[in-house]
Amino acid sequence: MRGEWDIGTDIGGTFTDIIAVRPDGGETRIAKVPSRPAGPVRAMLEALGAVGLSAGDVRRFVHGTTRVTNALVEERLPKVALVATEGFEDVLEIGRYRRRELYRLDVAPKAPPLVPPILCFGLRERLDHTGKVLRPLDGAELDRLAAWLKGSGVESVAVSLLHAYANPVHERMVAERLREVVPHLCVSHEVNPEAREYERASSTAFNAAAMPVAVDYLTELEERLPIGAGLQVFHSAGAMVPVPAVKKRPLVMAASGPAAGVSASARLARELGRDRVLTFDMGGTTTDVCLIVDGQAEMTDTRMIGGRPLRQPMLAVHSIGAGGGSIVKLGAGGLSVGPESAGSEPGPACYGRGGARATITDANAVLGYLDPEARLGDTIQLDVEAARRVVAPIGEALGMGVEEAALGILRVANAAMARALRRVTVERGVDGRDCALLAFGGGGPMHAAGLAEMYGLREVIVPAASSAFSALGCLTADFSFLQQRTLRLALAGLDAAGFAARVEEMEAEARGPLIANGVEPEGIAMEHVALMRYAAQSEATPVPFSVPLESAVLEANFHARHRQLYGYATNEPCVIEALRVQARKPSTVALARPDVGRPVRPSRVRDCVFPGLGKVSTVILPRETMSGAVAGPAIIEDAWSTTVVPPGWRARGDAAGNLFLTGAVA
Amino acid sequence: MSALDPFAVEVIRHGLSAAAEEMSLVVVRSARSPLLREAGDLSSAITDAEGGLVGQGRDIPVHLGAMAYTVKELLKVCPAETLKEGDSLIYNLGILGGNHLNDVKVARPIFVEGRLVAWGLSLAHWPDVGGTWPGSYYAKAVDTFQEAMRIPPVPITSAAGVNRAVLDMVLHNVRDPVSCEGDLMAQIAATQAAERRIRELCAVHGTQAFVDVMARLHDLSEAEMREAIREIPDGAYEGEDFLDDGRPDGSPARVHARILINGDEAVIDLSGSDDRMQNFCNTTPYIARSAVAYAMRVMSGREMQQNAGALRPLTIVTRPGSMLEPGWNAAVAAGNHETAARIVDAMFRAMERVIPERLSAGGPTTSGLLSFAEPMPDGGWRMLYEVHGGGEGARHDRDGSPATRVHLTNTSNTPAEMIEANYAIRLERQAIRRGSGGAGAHRGGDGIVRSYRILCDEMWLTTCVERTKIRPYGMGGGEAGQPFRIVLERAGVQTELQGKANLLLKRGDVVTLEGCGGGGFGAA
Repeated sequence: MRGEWDIGTDIGGTFTDIIAVRPDGGETRIAKVPSRPAGPVRAMLEALGAVGLSAGDVRRFVHGTTRVTNALVEERLPKVALVATEGFEDVLEIGRYRRRELYRLDVAPKAPPLVPPILCFGLRERLDHTGKVLRPLDGAELDRLAAWLKGSGVESVAVSLLHAYANPVHERMVAERLREVVPHLCVSHEVNPEAREYERASSTAFNAAAMPVAVDYLTELEERLPIGAGLQVFHSAGAMVPVPAVKKRPLVMAASGPAAGVSASARLARELGRDRVLTFDMGGTTTDVCLIVDGQAEMTDTRMIGGRPLRQPMLAVHSIGAGGGSIVKLGAGGLSVGPESAGSEPGPACYGRGGARATITDANAVLGYLDPEARLGDTIQLDVEAARRVVAPIGEALGMGVEEAALGILRVANAAMARALRRVTVERGVDGRDCALLAFGGGGPMHAAGLAEMYGLREVIVPAASSAFSALGCLTADFSFLQQRTLRLALAGLDAAGFAARVEEMEAEARGPLIANGVEPEGIAMEHVALMRYAAQSEATPVPFSVPLESAVLEANFHARHRQLYGYATNEPCVIEALRVQARKPSTVALARPDVGRPVRPSRVRDCVFPGLGKVSTVILPRETMSGAVAGPAIIEDAWSTTVVPPGWRARGDAAGNLFLTGAVA
Repeated sequence: MSALDPFAVEVIRHGLSAAAEEMSLVVVRSARSPLLREAGDLSSAITDAEGGLVGQGRDIPVHLGAMAYTVKELLKVCPAETLKEGDSLIYNLGILGGNHLNDVKVARPIFVEGRLVAWGLSLAHWPDVGGTWPGSYYAKAVDTFQEAMRIPPVPITSAAGVNRAVLDMVLHNVRDPVSCEGDLMAQIAATQAAERRIRELCAVHGTQAFVDVMARLHDLSEAEMREAIREIPDGAYEGEDFLDDGRPDGSPARVHARILINGDEAVIDLSGSDDRMQNFCNTTPYIARSAVAYAMRVMSGREMQQNAGALRPLTIVTRPGSMLEPGWNAAVAAGNHETAARIVDAMFRAMERVIPERLSAGGPTTSGLLSFAEPMPDGGWRMLYEVHGGGEGARHDRDGSPATRVHLTNTSNTPAEMIEANYAIRLERQAIRRGSGGAGAHRGGDGIVRSYRILCDEMWLTTCVERTKIRPYGMGGGEAGQPFRIVLERAGVQTELQGKANLLLKRGDVVTLEGCGGGGFGAA
């Protein structure tokens, strides 16, 4: 039987979320099953079962996963070798010198190198920054390398030679020679063709290290789910990529879960006509935020993973170490929340698994926001008394009751979140208060209105399927593929024909993977961004342009953008540092209002505590059947999520199942 | 004060830190000099109306410590009533809570409804501020006038915008005016960002509540510091450390610390340190205080908020006429990072038998500076300011890390690919200096080796490196690390260079810097 379902899944550390859609729009199903770190493919098939489907029903299967990132952070990595230019083979161990903590001697200043010194090889060759060969690479040297590698016993090799972004000639020779020598090989000019040797080598080593894990995993997935090109992986730059491409650059999956949530947000922002949106994805240990302007998520180039840089174009998702499990501390210096977390074991005190320190989730439980009868993830029975026992001493120390303390804890938690929102907007020169807050993840909808009020936002949107929003993003994202490379061209006297040829070449490179992935060439749009800087600057500013390029327009737009971001512009010469080309085809997946596969619970009332109001009998509405508008205080619940509507706020739902909360100031 | 909402305190604290972090982000992202954009040699702070520091970025500890005094001293010469909304002042004098002339500050008084409530302070290390030698580090300087341009507090902006006359005055006295102007605009933009954020905080919480919370933050920091001091056994402890040279006969100059712990208060008496030196290694009493504040904070062994209130339980004594209080006209360019680091080391030596588990053995407590300046045909200069770490000292529970920065500084290296693309220099080698860390139950970290080949006819070199003679000490029976070494290879002949020198390089010269290893901890 031919499959007729499209599936999106997000394999997180604790839960695997799944969303299944019949493309005719007739039906949407959602489920959540425990993740199985030892058998992720099995967990995925179980998730299929949880929405009542089997492998034969599947037409398309797109997934985001933290599997690769987790392997990197937890150092469960195979032996990898690094091949670098002779004299520079310690590049990973040297790094950029900077230490992580300014005032703590107990913490090692830097992460140890991903590749130990004995597995770093110095290759006799040298280029300069223009790509000119200063010392040619010869066959005897390649033989010396091959012999060393055979003796080293490594499965995977990273090759990152000096100035390879300017000229890949020597890296290509190495790749050619090593093809039959080692099973896995990553070369820097393919993975990250940009200047700065440490960041490039680190990114290449990351990919090489992830390759054996990723290839085994993806191969198993291909065998268990033989649907050919329909099997796809979500890219951390916010697009879908076919499995064969991921096997060559596994780190494109690095932050694919959070990226998928942001992609779904971007699409919803376009559909709802919101120009500026801040995403707010609050989980158990971290909170991810991202800025979306004109329906496009902002991009970034570098992300630190386990203290080491990974450089590749990615959605600019900013993570902070505060989530539902963050621990509340009261010391001589005042009260603080996080970054220490109770994690999933023992978890917050209210999970009844031995957690003995107050967390943000405990504060929510004390205030009555969490359903005491619900069973979280089918395993955890909420213990509100336990939450009160751990929050009460904080109140006593401050001379107040347990509920007042819990309200205060939420304010402090929201201040930490507001700082993250501030950061992503400031970096892009946007006034955050013009944005709508799009909340999802376990804690997002619970905290969103309080956070919005603190930060001065007028609207909160809680999307349909908010509890499985990253899984949804896997499914509904556009098809797109992105290429970026360092050019370093002076804008004055730019060789227009040469530039156009470069653009055309990159367009083909961006379009290729889409077509290989079964996307019809018709309707694929190209987006061009020049990363611009003044000659003496190092950070580049993204400036969109259209082809054929008009230099004067690009320059004027750059000055304007620079002024917007930094408050000034100058007459200095401009440089196109790098070029980014993205091929995009809009997704046409349509959604029906989701069925969470649980019986709908009737509306009821419960005592909840709100700022300025104290304890009040509060209406609890089932989200599935909610219609019309409701004035706060109110709680809107479904099997997987809780939305708090504080006093002074109003909530209304739309036909698609989205909730819109507006504050008194609106 | 007890009526204050304890949660509002924390919310405003987040807001102040976020504002300071935003300031640094603005400078890094839009500055011109590689020293700022690549190495990050800058810091940002928010102070209360009286200059007491209440919010800081994650920047350079030695700057942040001194910035606790930078506005306080400014207010003594520029009273608040002379300031207006839109003003910002530029200055670099050491006597105004400063450190060395390269660190130029822009300070903006922040008014809310006509009332001065706070200051935004941006400090950036300018790669050149004029003076005898490009880069403004002149090793033989006997006074401040040989070092660099001296900028007293003058308004760089007013409500009408940038003060062009002052800007021109500054730009005509530096060797790279184009980069300098960009850097300065970035600093001004950073203080404007601070102003916006403080006004928002006042709008949300009320101006008076905001002012009260800042006072409360000082009290909380004071309480934290007192708690930390109480954990250290009462007593008087002495320690000393030495600069490589500096006495009139060229022998090592002494920095001495006597630490008196009494309950929840501490006296740190540095007056046993040597007299003013006839070179650029003197420093200001503010830097001495900054070094002491840093050392006390890490010795507390805990996460602490750094506000001016944390200084209240500390009495810090320097002696007029000594290298740590040498008078307004002394040369101080290098003392900012070299002599300051000796204070931390002297304090660690004093406490090594008392709280060894909170310390680390000796490390690369120097800027490890090599600065290269190439004269350009148009009369301008192209300058590279390279700072280097080494191996970290070991601790009681772990080995030292290789190739890192410790204590008062935290600047980065410049990537080889960026140096080669922008300067007439080729890097021949960049490696770990294996075996340079001291042996011990835990080994000191290894230092680094970096070799520069000169590709132009004339290159002006400055070295500013300590630990070339005095090795990073071991602790608890661990061995010392290998010292710093700088070697010039010219026409096949190798010469060891002095740690603090100015000299001319020629095409084909190769300068190799070997960074020190860290000391070991415990007997091997």
